[in-house]
This record gives sequence, C-alpha cells and structure tokens, in this order.
Amino acid sequence: MFELTRYDGRHRLKGSVYLSIAMSLLAVIVIWIYPSFSGSFEDVDEEFLQAYPDQIIQMFNIQTMASLEGFLAFELYVFGWIILLGLYLAYLAAGTIAGDVERGRMDILLSMPISRARTVGEKFASLGVPIVVVNVITPVVVYVTALLVGEPLSAADLAAVHLLSIPYLFACAGIGLLASVVGDRTSIAQRIALGVTFGLFMLESLLSGTDYEAIGAIAPMRYFDPNEILLESTYDLVGAGVLIAMTVACVVVSQLWFRRRDIQ
Amino acid sequence: MAAIELEGLTKDYGEVLANDDVTFTVERGEIFGYLGPNGAGKTTTIRTVLGLLSPTDGSARLLGHDVTNEGELIEAKRRLGYLPDSPAFDETATGREILELHASIKGDERSDELLELFDPPLDRPVRDYSHGNVRKLGLVTTFMHEPELVILDEPTGGLDPLMQHRFAEFLRDERERGVTVFFSSHILGEVRRLCDRVGIIRNGRLVTVEPVESLLDRSGKVVRLRAADPIPYDALEIDGVHDLEATLDRGADSEDSARDDSKSAFTECTFTFTGDVNALLERLREYTLLDLSIEEAPLEDVFMRFYGGEVDGEESTAAGRQGTPTEVTDDV
Repeated sequence: MFELTRYDGRHRLKGSVYLSIAMSLLAVIVIWIYPSFSGSFEDVDEEFLQAYPDQIIQMFNIQTMASLEGFLAFELYVFGWIILLGLYLAYLAAGTIAGDVERGRMDILLSMPISRARTVGEKFASLGVPIVVVNVITPVVVYVTALLVGEPLSAADLAAVHLLSIPYLFACAGIGLLASVVGDRTSIAQRIALGVTFGLFMLESLLSGTDYEAIGAIAPMRYFDPNEILLESTYDLVGAGVLIAMTVACVVVSQLWFRRRDIQ
Repeated sequence: MAAIELEGLTKDYGEVLANDDVTFTVERGEIFGYLGPNGAGKTTTIRTVLGLLSPTDGSARLLGHDVTNEGELIEAKRRLGYLPDSPAFDETATGREILELHASIKGDERSDELLELFDPPLDRPVRDYSHGNVRKLGLVTTFMHEPELVILDEPTGGLDPLMQHRFAEFLRDERERGVTVFFSSHILGEVRRLCDRVGIIRNGRLVTVEPVESLLDRSGKVVRLRAADPIPYDALEIDGVHDLEATLDRGADSEDSARDDSKSAFTECTFTFTGDVNALLERLREYTLLDLSIEEAPLEDVFMRFYGGEVDGEESTAAGRQGTPTEVTDDV
C-alpha cells in the first residue's frame, strides 16, 4: 500500500521546499515592515482601516492592524494561506489525475494490479507533502522573525493557525481533485479548480452578514479563521472537523466518479 | 481457460461505432496478431480488454476474469504486462525510479535480464529520453514481473531495425517460455514474422481470424514474367489474375516497330495470381519466356484484399482490383 503516495510524495518534496521558502519570504517581509507600519500611525485601526473600503475589509475579514497578530492574520494568513495557498493546492490537485490521463501515463499505471479508487486516494494523499512541509517550515520562520523585530507571538496560537490550516488546504485540494477526475484535460481541470475555489471564497466573504449568509456554509473558507485563532486564541475544532468531512466527501466522490469513467 | 475471450464486444461512441460485435479468443501460449489500419478499432479493443473503457455491449475476459468487475480485473492484472502504443512515464523521474515504482507494486523477477536486452538510460530523467528509449523502458516494465499474458499495442514503432530484430527474437523466446502474446499492428511484415494466428479488424468489425499461413495461402502469388516476343493480353484472361501491370518492349531493332500493339500485347508483366498455377503454366507454355518468378504474395497484398484501397493512409492506384471495396475509416 501507499507505493504511489510514496513515489509522488518524494517527487513533490523539492517543490514543497521551494514553496515553503516563498511563503516564508512573504512572512518575513510582512513581519519586517510591521514595526515601521504601526509606528507611522497614532491609531492604526482608526486612521488606516478608514482608508479601506468596507467591502475590502469584509472580503479579507480584516479585524485589526493594531497588533502584529491582526496584521499577520490579514497580510499573511487570509491573503497568503486562505487565498494563495488554497488556490495553489486546488490547482496542484487538479493536475494529478487529469495530467496522468491526458499525457497517457494513466494507462501504464492502471495496467498494474491497483484499483482506480486506490490510485485516486494515493495520488491525493501525496499532496500532504506540500501541505505539511509549508506548515512546518513557515511557522518557525514567522516565530523567529517576530522575536527579532521585538513583537513576540504566542507559539501556541501560531502552531494552531498552521495546524488548523492543514484541513483547510486539504479541502481546497479536494475541490481540485474533483475537477481533476471530471475534466478531460489538465488545463480545463485546473481552470475549473481555480474558478470554483476563488468563487467559494468570494461567495463566503461577500455573503457574510447578509440574509444569504447560510449559502457560504459550502465554502471551506468559513471553517478556518486566522483572526479568531491569533487574536482570541479560539480554536474552532468543529470547523476543522467540517473541513475533514468535506475533504473525505470530495475524495470519495472523485473515486466513485473515476471508477466509472472511460479513460480515453 | 483462454488468455483473452471476447464475446460480442461493442463500443459505441455515438458518432463512431469503434468496436462492433467483436468476438474472438486468444489461446494460451500463442502469439496473436491483431491487424488493422490506423483507426480500425484495435486500440479500442485493447483498452476495453484492460478495463480502461467500459464496453457498450458484450463481454471480455482476461485470463478467465471478467474485466468489468474491478476485483477480478486486478487479479488478472497481476499476471499481465501491457505496453501502450505510445507509452508515457512521469517525465521528471529517472528510468530507475520508474522501475522501482513498478517493482514495488507488481514485483520484479527479471528486470536485470531485460535491461541487458533493452538498454534504456536508467539514470537519465525520462524527459530526456528518445521515443525508442521510452519504448525500451516500457518493454522492461511490461515483462519485468514475469506476466503470463502480454498485450502490446503497436510494439515496434520507434524501435530501430536492430532493436526490432532483437524484439522479435525476444517474443519468440517468450512464447517458448509459455507466455501468451497479443499484439496489434498495422505492419504486415511484423505480423508475418511473429504471429501464430491473426485477427483482422476493419471499421470496428472483426473480418477474420486465421492461422497466419492460411492467410498467405489465400492471398496467392506474385507472378513476374519477361518474354522474348510479345504476349497478347488474351493469354492472361484466366481466373485469378489481379492487378496486372504490363509493358511492351520490342527492342530497338525490331522490324515492325511502327505497328502499335502496346494495347494488346506485352513482353513484361507483374500480377497477383490467386488461381490454379497449372492453368497459368498451361497458358504460358506456348510463349518463349526469358524469366519467370512465382513468389508468395507479401502480406501487404492480403491486407489490401481485406481493406480495399487504403493501407496505412496510402491510396492504392492499381486498377482492376476485384472484390475489394474501398472504404475510408475514421480515426478512433
């Protein structure tokens, strides 16, 4: 078991380290500019947030910029994790099955004694490599950089925000996986994955506070809130559970779909 | 229990009927050639047998297992090797990594021996491989776990002549070891060199399944003759003469060179003959021949008889072909 996961995972390792370096750089820049940013306002929230349109504040769920935690929650976690990494994982997952089918690699893979469901499951599991690596390397960089600029962060909250982002990123990958088994071509699957993931983000953030807020419940973004973790030390374990359930549902539906389809 | 059993196998894509009621059996221990022009439906049959496509109708059994049942299919695949027409591997991986993956899933009994025979550059990434090298790697992955049955889709495309020869030798040895080989091809020379039996498919329908020799018998002979004096065309008006091509060469010093009889007589000709050889010799006895050869017709001609004017996209221009309707097939 897990031969395909091990094989794919090994091949994802190098890219995952590069991804972590990129995200760490983003983190370092955000933390590094924070002291000079906060030093240039008497009251950041009063003066700075007024300058943003309400829609943007709502979309990015900006709570406060008066502390490094609030600043990080927006600049790094909402923007970097929920949007950028979420989209990236959906995109990566969309390339898994569709890419192998399109390039003809699936033929040889499936000529081996391995079920289609297992193929889908193992390939999906290999996405755990970038998800875990980026969430192990980056928090260390964030913690150390925050210490260096004299704005120490709670290690527990920092660990929690990264830990709880793992089910979120898996859920985004699950959306990509669905697109990957449904789409005939990699480029189409990737476009579907990016479109759906970004659409869900918009849906969730724009509908919150309206009568239609309930519709946003289908979006993974509802169940991972960096602000709440970093500012209030509240860990939404139920939300994490919902994300895991969403991931499992995406994988199972993908497996059922892939079992039935013709591989041209 | 046969190696492959197809019963009324049909794959309907709506606009194309890729396989129409295909029924045949591949016995254990034989090399079975599946012959047809590009787009005839060979690959569709193979992909259905492998469970990559689900049949619209009919059934397929692989080593006794129903291929539409995934559990049974996996059992069959433990003892199966498959090489697609254009094999593709993870391009970022090296050949060695690919072999390790295959070994971890299906086992490795003899990759060392195979690597001596087909020698892909194992330490280079597949992205740097030539087509031939990808195919060599594919041959190693196909045979490394000692399969009982191998399915090869157009196996020699991309191999150089030396490697093709080596491959043919290798397949014969495999048959001696009891391996069943099913391969598709549109190259007749290959089928003729290797196969025990051949199934011919055209426009998705199986035309015939025959031992390869009986197909050669049926195809007849190629006759070439050169005569000292012109022979009238009437002399060859007997049953079984096809594709007659003749020229008249009376020589420069001929006395009656002014007479135009090129429409009625010839001195040199080539034709395919499917009739009785004795009848032909009886006809020719009264003429003085400079040369005569009667050879087995190439399998290409057998192919023409089944497929009409189209072989590998090449239009036949021969006139007088009999009983061979021309149809153009769609790519499937």
